[in-house]
Amino acid sequence: MDKEYDNVIRLRETNQLKCLYTIIRNKNTPREDFVFYSDRIIRLLVEEGLNQLPIESNIIETPLNVTYEGSKFKGKICGVSIIRAGESMEQGLRDCCRSVRLGKILIQRDEETATPKLFYVKLPSDISERYVLLLDPLLATGGSAAMAVNVLLENGVKEDKIIFLNVLASPEGIKVFKDNYPKIRIITGMVDECLNDQKYVVPGVGDFGDRYYSI
Amino acid sequence: MSEYIPPWSSPYIIGIAGLSGSGKTTVAQEIIKSINEPWTILLSLDNFYKELTPELSAKAFNNEYDFDHPDAIDLDLIYECVKSIKNGKKTEIPMYSFSNHQRIKDQSITIYGANVIIIEGIFTLFKKELLDLMDCKVFVDTDIDICYSRRLLRDIVHRGRDIKSVIEQWDAFVKPNAILYVLPTRSNADIVIPRGSDNYIALELLIEHLKNQLKIKSTEHINHLKMLGLKINPINWDNVTIIEETNQVKVIKTILLNKETKNDIFSFYFDRIASILINESLNFVKYVSGDSMGKTIETPINVKINPTDAFFQLNEIIAVSIIRSGDCFIKSLRRTIPAAKIGKLLIQTDSRTGEPQLHTEKLPIITKNSQVLLFDAQTISGAASIMAIKILLDHNVDENNIILVNYTTTELAIKRIFHAFPKIKSVTACVGGHGSTDSDNDWWMCHRFIDNIYYGTN
Repeated sequence: MDKEYDNVIRLRETNQLKCLYTIIRNKNTPREDFVFYSDRIIRLLVEEGLNQLPIESNIIETPLNVTYEGSKFKGKICGVSIIRAGESMEQGLRDCCRSVRLGKILIQRDEETATPKLFYVKLPSDISERYVLLLDPLLATGGSAAMAVNVLLENGVKEDKIIFLNVLASPEGIKVFKDNYPKIRIITGMVDECLNDQKYVVPGVGDFGDRYYSI
Repeated sequence: MSEYIPPWSSPYIIGIAGLSGSGKTTVAQEIIKSINEPWTILLSLDNFYKELTPELSAKAFNNEYDFDHPDAIDLDLIYECVKSIKNGKKTEIPMYSFSNHQRIKDQSITIYGANVIIIEGIFTLFKKELLDLMDCKVFVDTDIDICYSRRLLRDIVHRGRDIKSVIEQWDAFVKPNAILYVLPTRSNADIVIPRGSDNYIALELLIEHLKNQLKIKSTEHINHLKMLGLKINPINWDNVTIIEETNQVKVIKTILLNKETKNDIFSFYFDRIASILINESLNFVKYVSGDSMGKTIETPINVKINPTDAFFQLNEIIAVSIIRSGDCFIKSLRRTIPAAKIGKLLIQTDSRTGEPQLHTEKLPIITKNSQVLLFDAQTISGAASIMAIKILLDHNVDENNIILVNYTTTELAIKRIFHAFPKIKSVTACVGGHGSTDSDNDWWMCHRFIDNIYYGTN
């Protein structure tokens, strides 16, 4: 993966991070470890996502009664998860922003047409004024994520205020976003090689939602 | 090439001898109480009786064995123990059972380091090599008749022995040995206390002297710590990682500094920055790639990962927290490495002198390959950190495997720490005090506040 994508922000590729990915990629990793180490990666993604938010000057007084010029976040945020796998990332966001508002979108593949279909949307009412951290651990074809983005745009969210967090992304999915939503920032831990015939990311982590919730 | 000499490598050693029943123990306790020095240990020669062969043991049970002869006590062993403590090694002090005339198997007192060692027993001033280790030698010179009457009282009333055997033992062993071996050691003493513990003037003078000596020792230690920072050695900043000032790090720093921040919000954000610091420090842990181990993994869709991309963590990570400010990291540590073994060190700084004093060490078993995260929320003078690192090295931790994690640190502390221990790694969020060599200026990093607010004791 030498190709650089200017809409993608990747986590720093340390040996520690590679070690975390080795654990979650391994098909022999038991579910409790998969959940634990995925959560660690998700936490890093959330923190990187929050780094993308703009700040402004904030002058405060310290306990020693000295003024100090610090910073505070400018603008409000919320999270929107794509059910079911995206919900695995909600806790990571809550761990960093305790009372963050969370919207949910359910998109499922229609068995007859093989295209994604929107089933359910519940979003904070003032979402159009907020930065949105869109949560989905895997960016594969980008089909359902694109549909979720359309829902957000229809609700008045500005494209450049959407930050899309995922654990693993495919070059194909990234290209879909670059072509259609160039202002959306994608934050991902790793970009894999490609998609296979079954539209799985290669080498991937398998079905993230299944491994996190039910296998 | 550590140049830091911890105070326990030159413990102040006091020897107290005197006849049985002379009041040695009372004098020792009075000294301990008055000097009030942390890390003081009392070694009683009673724990160093030699183990008896079955024949001698049978004699002992018939009151025919001479326990009051110098040969009954393993003076070589006590010499080795004191030397070992002086060298900062973990030392096992045996325990002796008087009812069985045996050392108690699998039971001993573990001692690591001491500022003051008090050795107490009738033959304390008997062995030349042991005398050479002592800084102050005391002989408690109570009249032998008074010793006898005290002994009678103690053995009969408190130890339930019959009067005949006590008198026999006194006449056969205690008195002759006292005159032949114990009383002559009086001339080895620096100070003789007539009438024992009742002689409060002598005791006061002795304690006054000891306090002065300890003060000199403590000043030397502090000056030595200061010297570490004054040497004009360039700091190797490669080993110091200051976490990147991202937007959220800036915001969190502001929240932590704001005096309006409520305690619960403060703890929440400190936990967050602690997570970031811990993640950063884990980058110093050794991860080995699969190709060097001939090993890789397969993903659920049965694709093998290129061994050069698969990384494995081999070494155990151990956390060591300097109580109390280091404890602020433990919650975040548990979230990152749930089962990490955690060691604790209580090092407190004397508020009058600024000298760090080690009060307690509880460390897990550390192997050569263990990597140790050493936590201290604020490093101001660096003295406590230096002491903690020295303790870890004494417990066989490789200097390369120590990662010091703190939230704030001063440049002076970094200079001192890296001067003494150039190979450790350090991860921090704020470095301050540029150009300042005075550790007590009023800059905010020199003001201890984190653990106070974190634990709500502000």
